[in-house]
Amino acid sequence: MTSDELLELADKQIAMGELRGSPSDDPVNAPMIRHWLDAMGNRNPLFLDKGLAPPSMAQVWTMSGVKRGKDPSPVDDLLKALDAHGYTGVVATNCEHTYHRYVRVGERLTPGTRFTSLAGPKKTAMGEGYFATWNVTWYDEDSEPVAEMMFRVLKFRPRVRREPYPLKPAVNRDTAFFWEGVRQGELRIQRCSSCGSLRHPPGPVCPSCHSTEQGYVVACGEGTVYSYVVHHHPPVPGKETPFVVAVVELPEGVRIVGNIVDCPVEAVGIGMSLRVTYRPMDDELILPMWAPRET
Amino acid sequence: MRTLTDDEVAIGSVLPELSIELTPTVVVSTALATMDFTPVHHDVEGARAQGSKDIFLNILTTMGLVERYVTDWAGPEAVIRRINVKLGVPAYAGDRLSFNGTIVSRSETDYTVEVRGKVSLGDHATGTVTFSLPES
Amino acid sequence: MEAAIAGIGATEFSKESGRSELRLAAEAVLAALADAGLDPSDVDGMVTFTQDSNQEISVAKEIGAGDLTFFSRVHYGGGAACGTVMHAAMAVATGMADTVVCYRAFNERSGRRFGQPDARLGGEPSSQGLEMSWHVPYGLMTPAAWVAMFAQRYMHTTGATSEDFGRVAVAMRRHASTNPAAWFHQRPITLAEHQESRWIVEPLHLLDCCQESDGAVAVVVTTAERARDLRQAPALITAAAQGAGAGQMMMTSYYRDGMDGLPEISVVGRRLWEMSGLGPSDIQTAILYDHFTPFVLMQLEELGFCGRGEARSYIQDGGIELGGRLPVNPHGGQLGEAYIHGMNGIAEAVRQVRGSSVNQVPGVHNVLVTAGTGVPTSGLILSAA
Repeated sequence: MTSDELLELADKQIAMGELRGSPSDDPVNAPMIRHWLDAMGNRNPLFLDKGLAPPSMAQVWTMSGVKRGKDPSPVDDLLKALDAHGYTGVVATNCEHTYHRYVRVGERLTPGTRFTSLAGPKKTAMGEGYFATWNVTWYDEDSEPVAEMMFRVLKFRPRVRREPYPLKPAVNRDTAFFWEGVRQGELRIQRCSSCGSLRHPPGPVCPSCHSTEQGYVVACGEGTVYSYVVHHHPPVPGKETPFVVAVVELPEGVRIVGNIVDCPVEAVGIGMSLRVTYRPMDDELILPMWAPRET
Repeated sequence: MRTLTDDEVAIGSVLPELSIELTPTVVVSTALATMDFTPVHHDVEGARAQGSKDIFLNILTTMGLVERYVTDWAGPEAVIRRINVKLGVPAYAGDRLSFNGTIVSRSETDYTVEVRGKVSLGDHATGTVTFSLPES
Repeated sequence: MEAAIAGIGATEFSKESGRSELRLAAEAVLAALADAGLDPSDVDGMVTFTQDSNQEISVAKEIGAGDLTFFSRVHYGGGAACGTVMHAAMAVATGMADTVVCYRAFNERSGRRFGQPDARLGGEPSSQGLEMSWHVPYGLMTPAAWVAMFAQRYMHTTGATSEDFGRVAVAMRRHASTNPAAWFHQRPITLAEHQESRWIVEPLHLLDCCQESDGAVAVVVTTAERARDLRQAPALITAAAQGAGAGQMMMTSYYRDGMDGLPEISVVGRRLWEMSGLGPSDIQTAILYDHFTPFVLMQLEELGFCGRGEARSYIQDGGIELGGRLPVNPHGGQLGEAYIHGMNGIAEAVRQVRGSSVNQVPGVHNVLVTAGTGVPTSGLILSAA
């Protein structure tokens, strides 16, 4: 099912309007109110004194219980469709009650449910998902609304933790700046703070002037293929064959090794112009790679 | 228990903090009192199997506690008109839920109090409660 | 140099030895001592590769050797081969030991295969692990791939082709075909077969890559004077050298120069010619480390057998085959005989000096031997007395 189909289904459910459920099995009653007040630690004497139900109990009267059947609702089909589409996670985001009046002991309430909106797909902290919103109105025996609820849930596609990429670099004090740069989308080349020489791969001591004060410059991100290979065999963990690895010459004057991506293998050649791109390999590692430069 | 009068409530009035220890008994008894038998509110193993660290408060209880927070302060005759809650992090058994509130607006008949219920993980519920006081 | 190789020994070369690596080492060492006419109790020094899994003391214990006064190991994979002999020669020349055994033993085919990717290569917090970390994350992690990167650049600058690499493979398999000890005995190949073999890492085909083998080789080094009194004609160590170039890396020296040469072999060659007073024209046959065909071409250039970029012409028309201008690897090399990390090439050089090879080159006086290339390496010139 596509996201369009989900939205179409939502429109259909909205068009159904309100579906009335059955009246509550039990009328509003003092034992349940007493139990509720006790559990909540609510010592408000008003309710039992005057035979009124606490307003926020509205939904309690029509809950489906442990084994009693549920009334049909325009929400169910949509939630099922979202599950089927992979949005299996659920978290409630909003609950808004409006009370027209406090209900009395002895009254029997009937719920009516309307599906009101589906919004998405949206990127959220939980993962990609849809916000589904519905309204429930509780009616008294004269079909007058006594309370209403707007309820919104986020149905999300649970983030799958990516398999850890098996080919991890070792990182130490001398090389951490490079990998930190990669995380920030920068290709950093070691630059000797003393004599200014550029060097890649980096190291702790400048081979030219022996300074141990090392900084870096951020490369412009362009390069050309100096040499390359196409790996076919044997299989390499974490990679799909064939893949291309190149020695890339940077205009800054150093070379760096990386994969060439977004390019047919046959199109790679020495001298080809490239531009750096950053690829997440798992939840932690990002690698700088190289794609053909647009001309 | 006395109900506040109109001259005792003003914009900026601060409600005293209400802090509730969320024992498993609180979580389970409120879930049952609200007729919510979803396992994550009473079954630790079930809750953990779903990726939660423990059983946690159900939403009907959150709404009930927000109501209680306001009426504990405003008094039994205060009439709750609306409770709008934005739900945040779960309130797990073993944690403590602390409510704070401030009167932020009033109309001719109603007051609106902004309520924040915090647990150790952050905001569990934030929102507003609108109520009226009996004419004095 | 006052040292000589007095004995050589080996196990059979196979794809599955069916024995422990320690047993292979002991068998080869005992064979080498028997060849020299020496007793295990004569051994007082041992040298092997850092990569060898058999401790010197373990091999000494198995063969029943007595006290050892010298033991050392040489690093950098197959680049260690001639280096073991150099260390042994230095030991006997300085009196640190009298009889030093150099050995290499492994089940490289049936056990740990060097051509297989090892994800741990890049993760180690050693200087080598950090060096690998610029390459392994991109899947550049097999010797074939490391070498292919040089080969591609070499082709680009010299005009060499895959067929030129193939001619090396054809020559080695021709030599192996008449060597009963070779795995590829009686199995020569054609250039067409080379071209049709599957890609390993472009531009290298399967038949550009040496085989993988189980086996062991050992050689016995002693003073030249003593060697003269032993069972076999000595192979004098006329020159021995190790070499690493400026900016050298283990096998990925992509950052230092034109990537179309092997500076470490140039270092070794320069030292060998200086020490021996010889030149390329004094060499009758050469054992050039042939783990991958392109590096045979590059070695011919670095050692001065031909000019830069001229190796492809040098090897045309059987130039490095038996009967050619410089027969290379008469035993079939590691492409044809076996991959014993270059030690089987040293044994062949000794046979050529003795005049006892199955593929004997006529009139051999000096043989040049190299070790693993693309890595810090080593070399020897062995001469008839």
